[in-house]
Amino acid sequence: MRVVVARSIDAALAALASATEASRILAGGTDLCVEFESGRTRPDLVVEVGRVAELRFVRETQAGLEIGAGSTCADLLRSAPVARGADLLALAAREVGAVQIQNRATLGGNLVTASPAADLVPALFALGARVRLASLAGRRELLVEEFVTGYRATARRPDELVESVVIPPRPAGEHRAFHKVGTRRAQSISKVVVALALGPRGAGARIAAGSVAERTLRLATLEAALARGLARERLAQAVAHAVALDTRPRDDVRSTARYRRAVLERVLVRVLGPWLEPEGNAA
Amino acid sequence: MAARDQHGPGAPFGAEQPGDKRNTDFRVVGKPRQKVDGLAKATGALQYADDIALPGMLHAKTLRSPHAHARIVRVDCARALALPGVHAVVTGAEMPIKFGVIPWTQDENALAVDRVRFIGDPVAAVAAVDEDTANAACRLIEVEYELLHAFSDPREALTRAEPAIHADNKHGNVSKHVHLSFGDVDAEIARADVVVEDEYEFHGTTHAPIEPHCAVATYAADGLLTVWSSTQITHYVHRALARVLELPPQRIRVIQPALGGAFGGKSDPFSLEFCVAKLAMKTRRPVKMLYTREEVFYCHRGRHPMQLAYKTGATKDGRVLGVDARILIDGGSYSSFGLVTTYYAGQLLTGPYAFPSYRFDSTRVFTNKPPCGPKRGHGSVQPRFAFEVQLDQVAEKLALDPIEIRRRNFVGEHVTTVNGQRITSNGFLQCLDEVERASGWKARRGQLGYGRGLGVAGSMYISGTNYPVYPNEMPQAGVQLKVDRSGLVTVFTGGNDIGQGSNSVAAYLVAEELGLEVSDVRVVAADTDLCPVDLGAYSSRVTFMVGNATIDAARKLRRQVVKAVAEAWKCAERRVRLIEGRCIDLEDPQRSLPMREAFHIAEARFDTLGATGSYNTPKLGGDYRGGTIGASPAYSFTAHVAEVTVDVETGRITCDKVWVAHDCGRALNPMLVAGQMEGSVYMGLAEALLENHEVNRFGLHSGPNLLDYRIPTSVDTPELAALIVESLDPEGPYGAKEAGEGPLHPILPALSNAVYDAVGIRLKKLPFTPGKVLAALRAARAGGTERATDAASAHSAAARAAKGAH
Ligand SMILES: Cc1cc2nc3c(=O)[nH]c(=O)nc-3n(C[C@H](O)[C@H](O)[C@H](O)COP(=O)(O)OP(=O)(O)OC[C@H]3O[C@@H](n4cnc5c(N)ncnc54)[C@H](O)[C@@H]3O)c2cc1C
Repeated sequence: MRVVVARSIDAALAALASATEASRILAGGTDLCVEFESGRTRPDLVVEVGRVAELRFVRETQAGLEIGAGSTCADLLRSAPVARGADLLALAAREVGAVQIQNRATLGGNLVTASPAADLVPALFALGARVRLASLAGRRELLVEEFVTGYRATARRPDELVESVVIPPRPAGEHRAFHKVGTRRAQSISKVVVALALGPRGAGARIAAGSVAERTLRLATLEAALARGLARERLAQAVAHAVALDTRPRDDVRSTARYRRAVLERVLVRVLGPWLEPEGNAA
Repeated sequence: MAARDQHGPGAPFGAEQPGDKRNTDFRVVGKPRQKVDGLAKATGALQYADDIALPGMLHAKTLRSPHAHARIVRVDCARALALPGVHAVVTGAEMPIKFGVIPWTQDENALAVDRVRFIGDPVAAVAAVDEDTANAACRLIEVEYELLHAFSDPREALTRAEPAIHADNKHGNVSKHVHLSFGDVDAEIARADVVVEDEYEFHGTTHAPIEPHCAVATYAADGLLTVWSSTQITHYVHRALARVLELPPQRIRVIQPALGGAFGGKSDPFSLEFCVAKLAMKTRRPVKMLYTREEVFYCHRGRHPMQLAYKTGATKDGRVLGVDARILIDGGSYSSFGLVTTYYAGQLLTGPYAFPSYRFDSTRVFTNKPPCGPKRGHGSVQPRFAFEVQLDQVAEKLALDPIEIRRRNFVGEHVTTVNGQRITSNGFLQCLDEVERASGWKARRGQLGYGRGLGVAGSMYISGTNYPVYPNEMPQAGVQLKVDRSGLVTVFTGGNDIGQGSNSVAAYLVAEELGLEVSDVRVVAADTDLCPVDLGAYSSRVTFMVGNATIDAARKLRRQVVKAVAEAWKCAERRVRLIEGRCIDLEDPQRSLPMREAFHIAEARFDTLGATGSYNTPKLGGDYRGGTIGASPAYSFTAHVAEVTVDVETGRITCDKVWVAHDCGRALNPMLVAGQMEGSVYMGLAEALLENHEVNRFGLHSGPNLLDYRIPTSVDTPELAALIVESLDPEGPYGAKEAGEGPLHPILPALSNAVYDAVGIRLKKLPFTPGKVLAALRAARAGGTERATDAASAHSAAARAAKGAH
């Protein structure tokens, strides 16, 4: 196993040029070290980027808020621009592990692990984030939903580094909410996690859920129902319908499929209810 | 020696006679104080077993069985031994002698000899230059297994004897069966006005100490084997090492370094202690083994899963007439303390309530799962849960207040229970009063609105037992004091400080008796070469027994000092008092000495100063087989009120606050007592709401790590109000009893009872997961009330299964 300690993005990209499927980038190590220990991952090359300062920034740009992949959960919690433009990300970061983990766990690591239970990923989905990738071959940008392709799978090529994510500017009047149901109140993996953004009268809703399928997903059926103008009285039914159609939860150590569906429904009804108009008032 | 008669609950000095109950003139005891090792703990300076690093030390790792039940056909270590960096390999064939804490049920091998009985059973161990090499070597050991049928359901193990998990066990796969009956239960229940019969279930939990098990061994040229181990019972490890390694015990020294939590999980001798010893003997190098967190989960010895069927008959004014219990206990793969567990499951229920008649039938079976053993509240937490919920069901039928029904059944002080246990001091009524008052019970119970509720439960626990695990007439606890010319007094005790603060208590008691500052007392503990025997930290025996032994020794030393000084001062001995670091003449304010000088006078007069003290229990217990198991010189009592909020949409139970009243006799250090009370509730609460030591049907643990095995974090912990009740026991050290285990019991049933108050569902199967809560709510809503479904299944699988054992 070759280990390269990169101090700059260029150095990291140079090292990654020879990367294979088995190679790994090491950021905070909170996912990777667990994999090393269990023997699941035996990389041929490890590129350590934990000390690359260029990856750790928050910048307000024309395209929106750009957040470096090396930003830790603690960074997200402390950033005023994040609180303004990407509040969901801060809310999610607060729910990751506990303080020690938050001090190490990075945005890029959460995204690239692409666990179905990841807490930052649904927030990125709801925010409509774009992922910026870099390699010696050049740079490209993907919508986060295209980036996450399956169970712990992404569209990243082995030679690519996730540089940053870009959060589009917040539309006026958009409601946002984040809710995690964990196995305990801290240091717990989500049984169900929901992040959502909702325009006035249900327009442009982005409703993301984690731990209810093999990957983070959006509840398209519910979004469509909301876009059509959903009355508060019909919400529970629409939610039940969407959860049945859009999710694929399973039983595991942390919960059961049945409980996950039930709780996802309750959470959605609770969160969305107050924002919807009662029958008659609806568009 | 009969130290128990000598001390009394009062202070050693003061207006009244020493030991007089009215004499409350304590200088050290009774005040909140730092632990003697508190600063070292807080600053990280304390040395735990894994902090030991010796020159040339090797690191050892264990190869464990991947199968739940299999015969070992062949073990080939050749490739492992050939790996560079590997110094030695040891297998079961080299240590074939079995061990076990209970002499009648020694069924464990240091490493499997011809059979593995659970996933994680140790098969071989390797010593190498580092852990990675040792792990790599483990992977090179070839083991050929012949798979056997693996038992995961205790009911199957009850009725199916083949394949026997322990071939030499006389009763198939039944590890222990106890049937005891006191009074005419059938007749009493027949004449009862109300009878409740129901089933309860405890799922199984483990200790999850923060420090994993660790041991280090050296084997000196002169043949002395020294083993440092994170054990809570040095004495039994000493005995087991001698037995298994076939060494004379005088060539073995066992030392317990500072310990990072045990809770019963470090009571058995463990494979690693034998392995590091054997590997050190083979390599002549120091050898260390540290278990991984996963190994700690598989080593287990946690709380037994139990299926409990209870029947209680009571009069219409709520007086219990008879209790009939059937308990099926899933022991996992080895006996451990299981014989005691099987007794405790029945024997410890006969207080704080009077049972005119009582019968229990408890059966422990072997299954191919990690072995269960003692966990804080050994054997009695599960039955206590079942009975306290049932008592609420009785109260409900009679429309009685749950606290009131508990008061009405109070067993009393200085009484003998139906099964022959002698109860001395008993502050249970006061515990009930305290939690009733503090929680605002009268105004708030049933009044908090749907979704919120209050629940109560009580319990009793032992302060040690008079049953030494191997029969002998010698004291259970011994203490030795040595006086240095600097004025320092060193206490040598075999007692194991496992974080509960027993070293601190020993220091407080010596300081109290000799009028010293606590900082002038040093405690050397749990080193078999230096310290007199104590049977170790289990059954909440240490404060009571080591405490009494310490007072015994200190008083002997004090008499010497007082006599010598009185002679020097040519005054009566009663004028000489040891107080606040000085020896003073009560009648002459001008005459006083620093204690150091008083010691010098005594040493000059009597020779080298020192004293020994000991404690042994009086003869206790019922006059029948097993009657001494669970017989304690003193019992502690507890009552809890828990307040909960139930989210009926997510099924989540939040415990908002717990009021804990605990009768610990005298609180020698109220801060330590409150700490034990809070820690107990914290642990029990998690067992009810979060933790599940679950093993699937293949024997694989569902989440052997601290992320998935959910001990609570600080934000999961509710507000805890510790209300100390001091009943002053006539035989305890200054009247003290126990505080480490009793306060855990009531929280599990109190939560269930509170949930009933909140939303009207009876949770009888632990743990109370959100899924179960939702299912119970659905069932309740579906109209078929909970009660109806229960009655239908009253003749449960557990009851039927347990019958099969006769
Ligand atoms: C105790 C504990 C609790 C946890 N609790 C939670 C929780 O509550 N919620 C939650 O969502 N997660 C949780 N996690 C998981 C973990 O902390 C997060 O997924 C974290 O964000 C990963 O970031 P990292 O920097 O530690 O990643 P690393 O472990 O360093 O890397 C993870 C993966 O991402 C890749 N990677 C990292 N950075 C980049 C980059 N810039 N470009 C390309 N690839 C990259 C690595 O190659 C690796 O495959 C927990 C983990 C632990 C150990």
